[in-house]
Amino acid sequence: MTLVQTNPIITDDEPPVSLWRDAWHRLKRNKLAIFGLCVIVVLAFAAVFGPYLTPFDFLSQDLDARNQAPSLLHLFGTDDLGRDVFSRVVYGTRTAFLVAVVVTAIALAIGTTLGAIAGFFGDPYDRVIMWLTDMTMSVPNLLLVVVINASLKNPIAKWMEAQYMATLNPFYRETIWIDFFLVFGSMALISWPPYARLVRAQVLSIRSRPYITAAMALGLPNRIIMMRYVVPNALGPLIVSVSAGLGTAMVLESAFSFLGVGVNPPTPSWGNMISDGLRVWQHYPHLLAAPAFVLGLASVAFSFLGDGLNDALNPRGSK
Amino acid sequence: MTAQNKQERLLDVKGLTVEIDGRRGPAVVVDGIDLYVGKGETLGVVGESGCGKSLTMLSLMRLLPNKIKVTKGTAEFNGRDLQTMSNRELRKVRGGDIGFVFQDPMTSLNPVMKVGDQLCEPLIYHRKMSKADARKRAVELLRLVGIPGPEERLDAYPHELSGGMRQRVMIAIGLACDPKLLIADEPTTALDVTIQAQIVDLVKDLRNKLGMSVVWITHDLALIAGLADRVVVLYAGTVVEDAPVDDLYANPSHPYTRGLLASIPTLSDAPAARLSSIGGTPPEPGRRPAGCPFAPRCPLAMDICLREVPKLEPISSEGRHRAACFAVNTALKAA
Ligand SMILES: Nc1ncnc2c1ncn2[C@@H]1O[C@H](COP(=O)(O)OP(=O)(O)OP(=O)(O)O)[C@@H](O)[C@H]1O
Ligand code: SF4
Ligand SMILES: [Mg+2]
Repeated sequence: MTLVQTNPIITDDEPPVSLWRDAWHRLKRNKLAIFGLCVIVVLAFAAVFGPYLTPFDFLSQDLDARNQAPSLLHLFGTDDLGRDVFSRVVYGTRTAFLVAVVVTAIALAIGTTLGAIAGFFGDPYDRVIMWLTDMTMSVPNLLLVVVINASLKNPIAKWMEAQYMATLNPFYRETIWIDFFLVFGSMALISWPPYARLVRAQVLSIRSRPYITAAMALGLPNRIIMMRYVVPNALGPLIVSVSAGLGTAMVLESAFSFLGVGVNPPTPSWGNMISDGLRVWQHYPHLLAAPAFVLGLASVAFSFLGDGLNDALNPRGSK
Repeated sequence: MTAQNKQERLLDVKGLTVEIDGRRGPAVVVDGIDLYVGKGETLGVVGESGCGKSLTMLSLMRLLPNKIKVTKGTAEFNGRDLQTMSNRELRKVRGGDIGFVFQDPMTSLNPVMKVGDQLCEPLIYHRKMSKADARKRAVELLRLVGIPGPEERLDAYPHELSGGMRQRVMIAIGLACDPKLLIADEPTTALDVTIQAQIVDLVKDLRNKLGMSVVWITHDLALIAGLADRVVVLYAGTVVEDAPVDDLYANPSHPYTRGLLASIPTLSDAPAARLSSIGGTPPEPGRRPAGCPFAPRCPLAMDICLREVPKLEPISSEGRHRAACFAVNTALKAA
């Protein structure tokens, strides 16, 4: 038997150890993605620990120091009640991450479940689920949210008040829960369809790929085929869209706040700070600039990371 | 008794019928195929593109995609019907007793899994090997199929290998658990001629070493001349001729087989002789003629061919050469 040695293979400088470590190697080479990752890590740190580290409380007012321009003492200046804007932006980071993570998690759970059922079991599930998806997507987002808020906010507030009267439990006095419930709920309600479509398309296309048939021809059990052949191939696009989705959720919360249906003051969110800042930006531009800048930074960071992950998780793609 | 009955059959397919649930109702793609493979035998399966070669092999292992179903027939492997055995038993046969090499090396490997892992998976699952042992065996297998530097290749992703290398990896995966039968579905179509020849040599070599049976699917009669013991010619989902390889080349009987052989260029042929390749195209599934499926393209077609379907009948004294053609059978009876 004579065998000619054909095309030598191209190997990476370091021998790859696993798909994930390999992806990490590729991600490290992408400067924008690493920039995005750094920004996200810093913001996440601020979200978790920031409120304990800032020099001022985000609520404490100093009426002698209202509307101050940025200074060493107040890095981002102060607002019309003399509250430290830096501390408020930092606390807003917590709100932003809370909204983004919870909303994306809910949307992802709904979307993945429905999408996988539709893709895997086909009709009639597929038909019903896709109809639901199209319906949800065809309703204008903001309209839906405004309607939900308008119809649910008062009844819930009344119910909470009644509970407080009955139990005197201070928990029912925290209107912040109503905000979060409505904001999370309505945002998740409009955010799941893209995940459902993505997962359905992934499952459908992967299921009919030749390498799945080949894996079945090896007599591997469905469990292994799902975990090692279907899921890793579906994961890339999903991770990418989750990363982008987190950024989108933050922007969406701001849009809601602007319409008065987001997280309400006094709890700081970038959205309600921007919407407050917009009223006075001719006189005190820092009140708009600070939260808007951080929001923009976060949104850009998530999309850079998403793009980087897309390339990194796809070993077939050109580098 | 004839020789064919004495030889023990490893795979014995009877009346296998496969239908596609299309928009225009069900269409028969594989139409009552009978074929067998003896122990240690290499069977060539030949036919034009679309005649149902791949679907036949996939249906044996119950690997058909949605909407394509086996409606009739049995496929016995070592005396047990693959069509009715439990999923659990079938999984042991798949990959364990029957190795499969797929048509397209570019898409039949999992793109996000290293080739070493893909090679180890069946070893760990069927042979209950430890990860370390499986890797050792994987290196052996890659060496066996002629991949240079097998240790490094274990950690390569499929896209890092050339087409020929990937095809070798696929063969290595098919061979991983020492199958009794290797089904290779046009394993060389995507490759250039030199590499084709290498892969054929390789399989020949491995077959002799390991003593397994091989089913080699191709639409290239010349390629399997030196490899197969016996050849089955498929046309439009039916077997039209079945003969020992030498017989087939010396004495092709079915007009379709003759057409196929005539379209193989040989060195001695005058240029004019090569042009007798078959005109027209095979019928699409669901639009097959009532009588002999080859009738619309057949130079010898008679009245009966349009009305009745010819049966696969012995045409030589030992009964090992069979053909499904009225013209051939009439000529035999007349003689
Ligand atoms: N998934 C499918 N859906 C619908 N029709 C199919 C499908 N797969 C194959 N067919 C049809 O079934 C017939 C037989 O296909 P098959 O793949 O078995 O042919 P083949 O002999 O392997 O051809 P090739 O040499 O091109 O591989 C073809 O007419 C093809 O169009
Ligand atoms: S049966 Fe008739 S049509 Fe069919 S191959 Fe023979 S001669 Fe031709
Ligand atoms: Mg084929």
